[in-house]
Amino acid sequence: MAFLELDQLSAFYGKAQALHNVSLSVASGEIIAIVGANGAGKSTLLDSIMGLTRVTGQIRLEEKSLIGLSAAGIVRSGVGYAPERFNLFPYMTVRDNLLVGAYTARNNVSDNIAVVHKLFPRLQERANQETSTQSGGERQMVSLGRALMTSPRLLLVDEPTIGLAPKVCNEIAVALKRMRDELGATIVITEQNANFAMTLAERLYVLESGVVKAEGTVDELRNDERLTAAYFGH
Amino acid sequence: MLQIIVQGLLLSGLYALIAMGFTLIFSVGRVLNLAYGAYLLIGGYIYFTVSQTLGVPKVLGLLLAAMVGCLVGLLKYRLLVKPLKGNHVAVEISTLILAVVVQAGVVFIYGDSSKILLPIVPGVTQVAGASVTYNLLAATIGSWAILFALYWFVRKTHVGRAMQAVSMDTKGAAISGVDPDRINMFTWGLSGMLGATAGVFFASYTQLSPSMWVAPLIIAVAVVIVGGIGSIIGTLIVAHIIGFMEVLAVAVIAPELRGVFTMLLIIGVLVIRPQGLFGREEL
Repeated sequence: MAFLELDQLSAFYGKAQALHNVSLSVASGEIIAIVGANGAGKSTLLDSIMGLTRVTGQIRLEEKSLIGLSAAGIVRSGVGYAPERFNLFPYMTVRDNLLVGAYTARNNVSDNIAVVHKLFPRLQERANQETSTQSGGERQMVSLGRALMTSPRLLLVDEPTIGLAPKVCNEIAVALKRMRDELGATIVITEQNANFAMTLAERLYVLESGVVKAEGTVDELRNDERLTAAYFGH
Repeated sequence: MLQIIVQGLLLSGLYALIAMGFTLIFSVGRVLNLAYGAYLLIGGYIYFTVSQTLGVPKVLGLLLAAMVGCLVGLLKYRLLVKPLKGNHVAVEISTLILAVVVQAGVVFIYGDSSKILLPIVPGVTQVAGASVTYNLLAATIGSWAILFALYWFVRKTHVGRAMQAVSMDTKGAAISGVDPDRINMFTWGLSGMLGATAGVFFASYTQLSPSMWVAPLIIAVAVVIVGGIGSIIGTLIVAHIIGFMEVLAVAVIAPELRGVFTMLLIIGVLVIRPQGLFGREEL
C-alpha cells in the first residue's frame, strides 16, 4: 500500500493547465524527489497536494482522499509543507512562527519545539529574532521547523536549497535525513539541483511541462538522458 | 494645560478602542469596513433601549450591545464580505451602503432626533487638578482594559497568533493548519463586539444620534491611514496623536475645528508618507 498516492492528477490556474495526469506513489518512510527545470510544475504539484490549487484526479494519503479538504484540513491529516518562498510571518519572532505551526498540534508543542531545536540549534539561539531579519538559510530552517510543529507524517519540501550556500545545503540535507530516520517522516522534495536530489532521495520523478517524463531509483536515472533533457531540452 | 493633557489622555483611550476593531479587520482581512461606524450606532442604541429605556442593569446592557455587535459582524462577513471576497471595491461600496441602511433603520425605529445617553458612571472628579467626568474616566479605563486584554490575546494565544499569521501571509497561515476563513470570521465578530462596546462609551461621551457613525469612522480610517497597516501599538500611538490634536483644537483654536485637523492629518500622511507612520504588516 502506498503511503501517498497521486492518480491522474491535473492542476489548473484559471484556464491554464499546469499539471497533466500526474501519477506517483510514495512508500512510508521513503524520501523521493521531484526534479525538473523552472516552470516544470514542481511547486504546483506540492501546492496541489496541499489543496491550494484547483485539481482533477485523486490524491490519497494512506488510502484516504485529500481531495476537497482545505489546506488546514490537509495539515490536520498529517501533511507538513515547507514552501519555496517560505511564507513565514516576517514581523513575528522565530518562536512565534514555530508556534503558529502548532495551531493544529497543541498537545505536542513542547516536544515538537525540542525536536526542532535539536535539528536546528540556531533557531533556539535566535528564538526572539524576527524572521524578516534572518538569512535565507535561517528562514529555510524556520520554514522546516514550522512544518515539523504540525506533527507531520508526510513532509513536503519545495526547493530546499534554492539560493542557499553549499554549507547550508548540507545542513538542510542532514536535517531532512534525520527527520526521516529519527522521526519516521515520509518526505517529498522538489529540486532543480538534481545532484542534491540524488544525494538525498531514494527515487526520483522527472517533471517537464507538468508531465512526468521519467521515474526510477537514483541509480536508474543517474545517467538517463530524460533527466538531462528535462533540464536542457531535447 | 493640565486639563488638556488629562482630557487628551482620556479621549485618546476611547479613540483607540474605537479604532481597534476597524484596524483588526483591515489587518487580518485587508478590508476597509466602511460600515464599521454602524457597529457603534447599533451598540449605542441597543444599550439605550435595554438599559436606559427598559432599566436592565448597565453591565448587562453593555454585554448585550457587545453580543449584538458580534452577531452583526459575523453576519456581515458571512452574507456580504465572503461572497464578494477579492473584490475590494464591491466590499467597500457594499459596507458603506450597509451603514446608510442601518442609519435609516435607526431613524425608522427611534426617529431622527438626538438622544442623551445618560452617563454609565455619573459624577465628576478631579484628576491631577483637572475636572474629569467619571463617565469619561470609566470609558478610558474600560478602553485600556479591553486593549490590554486584546494585546495579550493576540500575542499569547494560538488564535491570536493565527490572526497575526493571517494578517502577514495567508498561504503561510493555511499551510500551518490555520483556516483563514475561520480566523476572518472570528475577527469580524470580535470587531463588531469592540465597535458596539466603543459605541456605548462614545455615545455616553457625546450623544446618541442616527448619524453618530460618521465621526468614529473618520477616526478609525485616520488611525489606519496614519498608522499604516494595522498594529495594536501603532493604533494606540496614532489614537493619542488624534486625541490630543482634537483636544488642543477645541481648547486653543475653536470647537468647530475639532475634526478638521484629523482630516488634514489624513491628507498630509497620504501625500508625504502613503504607507503610514508605522507602515508594516503586523498586528
